[in-house]
Amino acid sequence: MAFFSRLFSRRRRYDDLAVSIREHLAERADELMADGMSRAEAEQTARREFGNVGLIEERSREAWQWPTLESMLADVRFALRQLAKSPGFTATAATTLALGIAVNATMFSMVSAFLMPRLPGRDPQRIVVVSSVNPDAGFQADLNPASAANYRDWKADTQTFSEMAAADEYRTGSLSGAGEQPEAITVSAISANYFSVFGVAPQLGRAFAPGEDEPGHDHVVILSHSLWERRFGADASVIGRTVGINREDYVVIGVMPADFRLLGFTPQLWTPLALTAADGAPDARNRRYLYLFARLAPNVTLSDARARIQVAAKRAQQDFPLNEKRWGASVRVLDDFLIANFGIRPALAVIMTVVGFVLLIACVNVAGLLFTRSVGRQKELAIRLSLGAGRVRIVRQLLTEGLVIALMGGAVGLILASFGIRVVRAALGFNEVISAVPVSLDRNVLLYAAIISIASAVLSSLAPALKASRSGVHADLKSESRGSSAGRSHSRMRTVLVGGEIALALFLLIGSALLIRGVYLLDHQKLGFNRDHLLTAGLRLDKAHYSDSTQRNQFVRSLLSHLKETPGVEDAAVTSVLPAAGPGSVPIQIKGKPEERTGEHRSADDVVVTPEYFNIIALPILRGRGFTASDQAGTPRVVVVSQEFARKHLAGEDALGKQVLLETQGGPAEWCQIIGITADVKSFSEDQRVDPEIYEDFEQRPVDSFSVMLRSKVEPTSLSSALRSSVARLDADLPLLRVMSMEGVLEAQRNGNPLFERLLATFAMLALILATIGIYGLIAYSVGQRSQEIGIRMALGAKSSDVSRMILREGLKVAGIGSAVGFVMAIPLPKLFDSIFSGLLFGAPEVYAIVVVTMLLVALAATLGPAQRATRVNLSAALRNE
Amino acid sequence: MAKDPNRRDLFSGALELMILHTLRLKPMHGYGLAKHIKHASDDLLQVEEGSLYPALQRLLREGLLDSEPGISAKGRPTRIYRLTDSGLRHLEREVSSFETMFTGITRVLAAARPQEG
Repeated sequence: MAFFSRLFSRRRRYDDLAVSIREHLAERADELMADGMSRAEAEQTARREFGNVGLIEERSREAWQWPTLESMLADVRFALRQLAKSPGFTATAATTLALGIAVNATMFSMVSAFLMPRLPGRDPQRIVVVSSVNPDAGFQADLNPASAANYRDWKADTQTFSEMAAADEYRTGSLSGAGEQPEAITVSAISANYFSVFGVAPQLGRAFAPGEDEPGHDHVVILSHSLWERRFGADASVIGRTVGINREDYVVIGVMPADFRLLGFTPQLWTPLALTAADGAPDARNRRYLYLFARLAPNVTLSDARARIQVAAKRAQQDFPLNEKRWGASVRVLDDFLIANFGIRPALAVIMTVVGFVLLIACVNVAGLLFTRSVGRQKELAIRLSLGAGRVRIVRQLLTEGLVIALMGGAVGLILASFGIRVVRAALGFNEVISAVPVSLDRNVLLYAAIISIASAVLSSLAPALKASRSGVHADLKSESRGSSAGRSHSRMRTVLVGGEIALALFLLIGSALLIRGVYLLDHQKLGFNRDHLLTAGLRLDKAHYSDSTQRNQFVRSLLSHLKETPGVEDAAVTSVLPAAGPGSVPIQIKGKPEERTGEHRSADDVVVTPEYFNIIALPILRGRGFTASDQAGTPRVVVVSQEFARKHLAGEDALGKQVLLETQGGPAEWCQIIGITADVKSFSEDQRVDPEIYEDFEQRPVDSFSVMLRSKVEPTSLSSALRSSVARLDADLPLLRVMSMEGVLEAQRNGNPLFERLLATFAMLALILATIGIYGLIAYSVGQRSQEIGIRMALGAKSSDVSRMILREGLKVAGIGSAVGFVMAIPLPKLFDSIFSGLLFGAPEVYAIVVVTMLLVALAATLGPAQRATRVNLSAALRNE
Repeated sequence: MAKDPNRRDLFSGALELMILHTLRLKPMHGYGLAKHIKHASDDLLQVEEGSLYPALQRLLREGLLDSEPGISAKGRPTRIYRLTDSGLRHLEREVSSFETMFTGITRVLAAARPQEG
């Protein structure tokens, strides 16, 4: 209440004050008149003695004000009035900032979603992820999953971890039941204590009970919220129902809440992780597939946990040199792990830098506009200074104007950003892991937008405000001419600003061009095989129906022969991994070549294929032969290796005829003879790596999970239904996973690359446009300022071509110096990018040349208009003007 | 024009103290206050209007003064400032602390004199 009564009483206080001062002046005047002065003289003297009435009144009023709030409001009101008087200026400045703020807020929505993940559960800062450290991986080496043996060893250390859970996060399977079409799903197999480590409980039903992760008791399942809604219509009676997973019966025991979500992990359901004795065997230490989530024991710090887990890893290295040699272990806090594992940070850092620069350029443009404006307002400001307004007050007033502009820009920017975020979210739909992350205009984005609005207000208006308030009172009041020195020093300031802006824009353009080129080259690299007219689909033969290898062989043989007879199909093959899709590597031995000297494990990417495979992807057999129908389960084991395999593992020898042993899982290892050498295929479509590959014959090792490939004469996806019916003919309940053309598979593997390229290109163009506007504004303004000078020159006989050349030179000088600075700034970029992005080529001197020439041409074009206009100066008007 | 900064308050609180003390004698309006202080100090102290009115407003805000509409000697409307109870208490506290301070300063200056001579 005191607050309100004070607000209302203040008006009365101000009136009192005015009355007091008026009486003060009147009485003094009366006295002076009594001494013999005339009325007019007395009143004037009284005023002079009193001092600056307005200022004293203001100071006195300040006693009643929250020190600044009220005068700030007055400033804001004044700023609004001032800005309303020049709507063109206001709109231009606010729009420029709005663009800068919009792109920043839009991109920050991704930062907020991907780098500030909302963590589930209780006290998530105490949850850590324990990973293996892969000695041979360059990329994300310390985020490697761990083996079941690691899990058993490490969770026993209850001094460090009060509880540790394991998850096999990326299983795939088929979900069937209740007469519905079976569908492919992603499954996470978890230890029974998984949810208790996070401290979350199912929304419906219960979590896994201890012992339900033992073999034989493990046919229970917990649904994710989204699957429960989509497939089960959010029906609460689903608890207790039986569903088929890989055609085995599981009982639904729980449904997780919607907010239980880990960035980058999107299982649709959870089943128990049933570890067997075999998982603990020494040779199982090579199978590293478990993510270990643990809660730190009370009073244990992260660095304690790190130290202890490293000791444990050292011990394992000594105890199991064969499998653990050089492998380490690392501990990260949950959010740290999730963000690092998601691997989006470098790309986002680059993009945020780019949009930050765009905003900076926008600020420079607005600063330029404010400079121009303050030149026009010099007299107003000089008058206010001379009337006793303090410099601080003037600066504050001008900053307030900048703030009002920036806040208008921020508001419009947020509206634009809400559209931008929608566009980005649509563009992020390229895979389900990314699209599962909610990108939205959240609190973080709002806060960020507010901060950058204020920052850009200061950035764009501080320099012009300081400069304007510093101008001499007398000089400005006296100077009548627009060509005066004060005007010159303003335009010098603008020249520096525009030069800096061009330097920034050039730097951005070069950086973006290098990155886009690098990503483009990678996306369009030669993969080593023919990707056209191929249809692919994944199949998984479940153990319930295909436990026997002859059953699997039988299935594949009938499927392929049926497919080959399908109209439109040229050929059909089966492969354990699609080409360039990242095959898994296995340790190998070569007979007669012990791995003594190298000290390294020999390994090769292992692919199991049917004989048609080499032909169907047009992968040439360079020497020897491919597989034939005569290579069968009973015949001697044979393999085909890639050129890179021969080069790396059998340099200087004839690979043909050599004996190789693959340490694959399951089944006794057997020596295989190399019968052929193929050309190389890139291991990943999104990397330049070529790893040694070894191909096994499907008949000799019929794996249970594989892809079918069809070569078609027609558009490949038109054969999808034929493929489905061929599979259904053999097994009606078997779901097909990911039916896609090979082109589609490779396109999907590009992941965010196209988006990354588009974003970079868009922002670089925005920077270029803003810089162009900046240089145009500078030159146009300077032409206007110099119309008198130009008039004189022309009156003295300068030709219009001389004048336009003079103006062009001025523009090119700014652009040239700016470009030179930007060029030098951009020189270290390739090295920097090399350290951030692995596997991309950044060495491209021609990019620098092209960008610089483009920049200069654009600057020239921007200067052309004003230069032309300069020659059309109306002589008499220009000279009479002043 | 701009005023001589050396002629501002000698130390903080002095002007407020003089205002309160003057108003203790009788309620006055602004001009009367200024004149009274000037006369009482035999023209040694000139109260700057630039300080007086802000100081009055501060004292009003603190509740040490009260103001009411009144009529000046010449019959024009003005505002009369009067001391409140809390203003009186404040004045007494301040005066005693000022006196202590003056005593202290005077002693120090007196002690310093012989060495000088």
